Amino acid sequence: MLESLLALGGLVLLRDSVEWEGRSLLKALVKKSALCGEQVHVLGCEVSEEEFREGFDSSINNRLVYHDLFRDPLSWSKPGKALPGGPLEALRALDKRTGSGPATIALDSLSWLLHHLPCPILCQTLHALSRQDSCPGDTLPGEQVRVLGLLHEELHGPGPLGALSSLAQTEVTLSGTMGQASAHILYRRPRQRPTLQTQWFSILPDFSLELQVEPLLESQPPSDLHTPSVDPTTHLTFNLHLSKKEREAKDSLTLPFQFSSEKQQALLRPGLGQATSHIFYEPDAYDDLDQEDPDDDLDV
Amino acid sequence: MAAAGTCGTGTRSTGSMVAAASTNNVTSFQRRGPRASGADSGCSRLVSIAGTRPSVRNGQLLVSTGLPALDQLLGGGLAVGTVLLIEEDKYNIYSPLLFKYFLAEGIVSGHALLVASAKEDPADILQKLPAPLIDDSYKKECDEDVCSHKMEPDIKMKIAWRYQLLPKMEAGPVSSSRFGHYYDISKRIPQELIETSKWHGFFLPEKISSAFNVESCSLTPGYMKLLQFIQNIIYKEGFDGSNPQKKQKNILRIGIQNLGSPLWGDDICCTENCDTSHSLTKFLYILRGLLRTSLSACIITMPTHLIQNKAVIARVTNLSDTVVGLESFIGSEKETNPLYKDYHGLIHIRQIPRLNNLIYDISDVKDLAFKLKKKLFTIEVSQEAGKVVWYSRLFNSS
Repeated sequence: MLESLLALGGLVLLRDSVEWEGRSLLKALVKKSALCGEQVHVLGCEVSEEEFREGFDSSINNRLVYHDLFRDPLSWSKPGKALPGGPLEALRALDKRTGSGPATIALDSLSWLLHHLPCPILCQTLHALSRQDSCPGDTLPGEQVRVLGLLHEELHGPGPLGALSSLAQTEVTLSGTMGQASAHILYRRPRQRPTLQTQWFSILPDFSLELQVEPLLESQPPSDLHTPSVDPTTHLTFNLHLSKKEREAKDSLTLPFQFSSEKQQALLRPGLGQATSHIFYEPDAYDDLDQEDPDDDLDV
Repeated sequence: MAAAGTCGTGTRSTGSMVAAASTNNVTSFQRRGPRASGADSGCSRLVSIAGTRPSVRNGQLLVSTGLPALDQLLGGGLAVGTVLLIEEDKYNIYSPLLFKYFLAEGIVSGHALLVASAKEDPADILQKLPAPLIDDSYKKECDEDVCSHKMEPDIKMKIAWRYQLLPKMEAGPVSSSRFGHYYDISKRIPQELIETSKWHGFFLPEKISSAFNVESCSLTPGYMKLLQFIQNIIYKEGFDGSNPQKKQKNILRIGIQNLGSPLWGDDICCTENCDTSHSLTKFLYILRGLLRTSLSACIITMPTHLIQNKAVIARVTNLSDTVVGLESFIGSEKETNPLYKDYHGLIHIRQIPRLNNLIYDISDVKDLAFKLKKKLFTIEVSQEAGKVVWYSRLFNSS
């Protein structure tokens, strides 16, 4: 599951809630990309650096580049040093830093950034970050920049959530039942229909992922609304199909207004026996053969 | 109409008879003089511009939207000087197709293009346009899809044999002066066509300087820059008649993608009561003023499903001329509805302008559905849906 989440590139949005937290999934993804040999930059805003690095072994910790916004977000202690411009400057610095090779940027949380930056500016910066590759669509999957963003969906209204969802290439919504976590993953591949997938999982203490089987709910028997369809063409009193001989006879039938060569000849050269048409008339006893107009007698 | 036929009718008829004897045309009447664009052009009060035709209802100059089916639903085409607003579907899969059809139609007709986007580079958008089809190959595509049973393409017509004597439609070169072409989505437009066309691109991240100094005017800086760019192009290239030395008039097709999304710097999609809530409506108002005074037509795609304030959507609809909404079935309960199983979504014609007219041109058909096949985007009337709705209304009211 982790490979498929990381494969698409772009912005991966992890939406979690109070009951189903997403930071462990974020750390699992960070560990996975660090093990693949990529550069990983983490912008930590909500938890301290020690807490974030907890649980990773030293090889991963060496690959992790941590940008700390938690300890001193407004840079009171070191005026004019490190991150003077606040979160926006930190994001832009990340943009410039990942110059070469595939990289993963983990934003510890987008909710914190949404509260400190106006939403359109954050969207534009995220778009610029995830657009690092110069020719989108033609780059190898390994060359892309991935941005993993953790978003606490209960803290925001539908507006910012919708705006960030429309930017994301992959959107993971965490939920679960009965103690078992599940992820509803929406893949938005460019120029293809989006696909929805549900995966049950659990994260082990060393931040590796274990897939689970869906827990059995009391399953209702699927009500059989679909009655077997009856074929209406059986048991008919008339014949709907044509046999081969009948079809040949039908094809060779000359239709009344069909212009065939025989008819053309007949029209061009009136045949010998069909010169003129004769009318044979035998007058009755009561027939009046008078040529005058009978209406002349009327006195109107 | 009268302006065209100024030459004496007597001489014209003899001339045309001679012409008919020599050529093998469908009709025996032939207009003398320079061949006007389109075999069936009506009045030529204006100098005829390639790729346009006057409307049969009110003489308004129309351009094709790239989809002949959509042209028919809009009353012949999109009027020059108006805005076509496409309300995007939820996952933004089908609205880029309509956008691309519009631009591809511009390239094939020889119009100038202006592509503005905050998401993608305009050069990349132009590379992905669909390739135009010549007439015979489109008919073949149609036949393949429609007939499930095998049918020879040149079957002898038995009953309607007179139609067999008519010549097939002429497969002219692709850059013909016909109105409305067909495109193959699975193929890309050939590179030569893009290179010979005149296009201007506006990519917002390049134009906005990195220093975010918010100006105090009520328009978002992105919109302001875009309006200035459009005005500049219209003036420089002479689409508003300001450059009298230009001998050949042409149409400017403007395409703006994802207007109103946060990538343009507008927070109308993010909050309900935002400070710059009038920015988008002002932009549309000024844009309409620019368009009405120039020979241009504009297509805008807007993610209205993200706009939180419903009043803004109503205002935006009123400020645009033609509004078409796309609703795709993905992820909604309609996907499993057996009525809609052949289609990918519904298309709603929300508004048609009333230009120089007293009545609207609305067609009677309200249930339109679209389907994206492998190579075509088709719009059809979903008749079953209409019938069911009518029956249910009938029975519910009794």
